[in-house]
Amino acid sequence: MTDLSIMSTENLNLYYSEFKAVKNININFNKNEVTAIIGPSGCGKSTLLRTLNRMNDFVEGFHTEGKIYFQEKNILSKKIDVADLRKRVGMVFQRPNPFLKNIAKNITWGPSIHGRDFDQSELVESCLRKAGLWDEVKDRLNNMATDLSGGQQQRLCIARAIAMQPEIILMDEPCSALDPRSTARIEDLIGELRKDYTIVIVTHNMQQAARVSDKTAFFYEGELIEFGETKDIFTKPTKKQTEDYITGRFG
Amino acid sequence: MSLSSKKILKKRRFIEKCFKIFSILITFSAVLLLIILLTHIIRSGAQWFDWQFLTSLPSRKPSRAGIYTAIFGSLWLMMTTVAFAIPLGIGSAIFLEEYAGKNRLSRFIDVNVSNLAGVPSIVYGLLGLAIFVHYFNFGRSILSGGLTLALLILPVIIITTRGALQSVPKSIPFAAYALGAKKWQVILFHTLPYALPGILTGIILSISRAIGETAPLIIIGAATYVAFTPESIMDEFTAMPIQIFNWTSRPQEDFHSLSAAGIIILLAVMFTMNSVAIYLRNKFQRTKND
Repeated sequence: MTDLSIMSTENLNLYYSEFKAVKNININFNKNEVTAIIGPSGCGKSTLLRTLNRMNDFVEGFHTEGKIYFQEKNILSKKIDVADLRKRVGMVFQRPNPFLKNIAKNITWGPSIHGRDFDQSELVESCLRKAGLWDEVKDRLNNMATDLSGGQQQRLCIARAIAMQPEIILMDEPCSALDPRSTARIEDLIGELRKDYTIVIVTHNMQQAARVSDKTAFFYEGELIEFGETKDIFTKPTKKQTEDYITGRFG
Repeated sequence: MSLSSKKILKKRRFIEKCFKIFSILITFSAVLLLIILLTHIIRSGAQWFDWQFLTSLPSRKPSRAGIYTAIFGSLWLMMTTVAFAIPLGIGSAIFLEEYAGKNRLSRFIDVNVSNLAGVPSIVYGLLGLAIFVHYFNFGRSILSGGLTLALLILPVIIITTRGALQSVPKSIPFAAYALGAKKWQVILFHTLPYALPGILTGIILSISRAIGETAPLIIIGAATYVAFTPESIMDEFTAMPIQIFNWTSRPQEDFHSLSAAGIIILLAVMFTMNSVAIYLRNKFQRTKND
């Protein structure tokens, strides 16, 4: 663990009832870096991601072994206030899921429930600007968020996550339900956000991982096969499985 | 194609046609019955249906009798019913759906709520008589009647509200939880508003059921002759179905057609409420597009 580390796991095992989805993972996420997690379907990458802000607590039969440290505290411990953890570790989901409220409310609701003191219109504007959505929606902030296109909705969800001023943003295949143009916009956005935030992104799309991330972790059948600088993983992988996966898809 | 397979095909087509005609006949016979019923009621009741009928008190003489007190009785009754049934019903549904989990107790409650929804209304009348009229000593008042009807529609409200809560896509509460919301905030600000059209529909449909209920009110002793409009929930009352029942059970022919006029009003109220339910459902659903 280095000074740069913001979150790390220690001998982490994740189970759905009897099934062991993630096996003995030790991984470290650095501050202000984008870490991509890649691997075939069912390799446990989403499971790991959703454990980092305890969203898997809602899955019946899910249980854990090992530890996840977030600034020296084990977030899997019972003493942790999960709501506080999720406030600091934001999440963007696979499918855009804006609230059934207007655009401005989608942004302000999160900060308001935590009793933060803020200027509404200022917060809305700055978050929408950061998410690259401001110019498209500035004239209709009172329209329903669900009237936006899928790509716009997803950027709104990112703006909503930013509004919380999280330390980490988790992204669970954020582009898988979007068309290529919206995908490109979100990728640009991730490039912008890496200056201020730590991002962990799960993706099916290897080109995407190569484009947006600093570090890449390759998962296979619940195991962390290889983890390192993105350019190393994609140009000179050390493990055969990694190479097969990377070349098999696009070679 | 061989001869036998052609034959089979022909036979299948024939059965298909028969089934279609059969379904059409069934549907239209039901609609036809309804139309006959309505025209019959309207024809026999229309002669009494005027402003005087709406604004007059009950009377021995059919020409002077009106449904004024019954309308107000029903209104008071429904307000009382709603005041008790809605908070209890929605509260229970939220508890069962969001907090109770899947243990023995919740399954037990679950089964019982479903069973209660099927209990005949007269049984609720007996319950109301024993508990509200006698034990709590509320007498034959609007309060007793309203509480009894509230019990009657409570299971239906619980079941429809639970259904509405279940239909909320999981992604919405997840989004809220991911922002660090507590459970009550998620339920209050996201799950409930999302489920509102379904909940409203359930409530309005159960109110239209309650407003037409006669048996439980007769059991708890709603008066048939009340010469004043209620002023508090402890007053005696009559209600539209009671008044109609009373008029039908009189020997004079005129009172029978008077009851038809009463039925027209009751039906009008119910149709209006059902239309409101449909309107609300469509209005709120239009704002969702998933």
